[in-house]
Amino acid sequence: MKRLLYSVFIFLVMTQTVGADETDVTKQLLRNKVEAAISVLQKEDIDQQEKNKQIIEIVTPLFDFQLMAKLSLGRKYWPGLTQEERQRFTELFTRRLQESYLDKLRLYTDEKVVFKTSVKEKRKIKIPTELISKNNTISMLYKFHELTNSWLIYDIEVQGVSIISTYRSQFDHILSNGTIDDLLIKLEQPEQPKNK
Amino acid sequence: MRKRQWTYLLLFFLFLFFLSTGCAHRRAASSQAVPENMDRDQNRQMTTAEAEQIPSDPDMEDNDDEGFFEDEFEEEAIKVADPLSPWNRAMFHFNDKLYFWALKPLARGYKAITPNFIRTGVKNFFRNITTPIRLVNCILQAKGNAAAVEFSRFVVNTTIGVLGFGSPADKYPKLASPDAEDLGQTFGNYGLGNGFYLVWPILGPSTLRDSIGRAGDFFLDPVSYVSPAEASIGIRAFDTVNNTSFRIGDYESLKKSAIDPYTALRDVYLQVREKKIKE
Repeated sequence: MKRLLYSVFIFLVMTQTVGADETDVTKQLLRNKVEAAISVLQKEDIDQQEKNKQIIEIVTPLFDFQLMAKLSLGRKYWPGLTQEERQRFTELFTRRLQESYLDKLRLYTDEKVVFKTSVKEKRKIKIPTELISKNNTISMLYKFHELTNSWLIYDIEVQGVSIISTYRSQFDHILSNGTIDDLLIKLEQPEQPKNK
Repeated sequence: MRKRQWTYLLLFFLFLFFLSTGCAHRRAASSQAVPENMDRDQNRQMTTAEAEQIPSDPDMEDNDDEGFFEDEFEEEAIKVADPLSPWNRAMFHFNDKLYFWALKPLARGYKAITPNFIRTGVKNFFRNITTPIRLVNCILQAKGNAAAVEFSRFVVNTTIGVLGFGSPADKYPKLASPDAEDLGQTFGNYGLGNGFYLVWPILGPSTLRDSIGRAGDFFLDPVSYVSPAEASIGIRAFDTVNNTSFRIGDYESLKKSAIDPYTALRDVYLQVREKKIKE
């Protein structure tokens, strides 16, 4: 009887850890990557360009840029695109996202990053973090989804504002008044023209 | 005097009218959702058809996933009418220039010559004296706990914190600052819609509901009662510069990552407000 109880207990403990595992592993992975990125950011012996390159190399494997591109256009526009257009769009949008993420890291990470308790909802993991600098605390929420056994980021919320949502409304605005070519041209331009 | 009362009454009815049109718009939006749904179904059919034709197409593999995620973003999407778009865009550009030509250089210069503890002290001070706004709105939303915390913070920070320049209340986890409430959020909490998007010169993005809320909060802000009016405006300007000195780079970053900055800022504003109302 005692043995049975023990085995039940051990079984329960084990299943418990299995359940928590994915979330913890993902969190640890994110922590490693973000910390590596920050240490690159704080290096003094290399120039900004080199830093950007290194950081992008570090964090890129965490992101599901394909899905992010798809989500940002949504069901309304994505299916209407040709294969080439999709590819071109994904390429440009990926670059945009990388730059934007880099920018946010650079802007808000003076001191440290705090990783808070992550939440698992169905097939998603949400990991809230806080970027703490001298005067500000900026919340950054990483949203992961599972893709063939690995968890990848499909959206980030900065101070409660979803990056994908914001792009969605911009793309919707451009595409409802223009064509995909207009959007691609705008994505290619690094800076918004002054008169618009 | 009598005439004045009539003006107020008229304004009030105008307010109600706008709110009701706001609601009408919302309803119209939801009835529009039907054809949109149909549209979506067509798309879905198309997607499945394509998937059947080209089974190796990697984009279509996670069809299920796509639907799963779309829902999240469709739920999140906040649609607000923008009938005053030309005005709003003009004001957006005005504010944009105001920021880059005046506010940013001012805030930068101020930051360079002002020690950090003074800037933080000023920030705390203004936060402390605007307690009435947050307190009243906590009460209006029946957030008893938050109201108690706001009140206690005010007492602690005004006394031990020396008129609110310090923020000793932050040391107590129980007195952690609750989310700042305002009248716009209170209206939202009561179920009023945004009405429409509205950009004010200097004050920035808002909606009809939040503008009215802001006007109401004006009366709860002690700075409004400083006379002469010039002094009151001066104090506000100082507060703005001080606040901006902590946030140089935020707007630039938003603008840089945006493809259409006007739409991006509008969406960010609406997302932030929506989130705050839900909290």
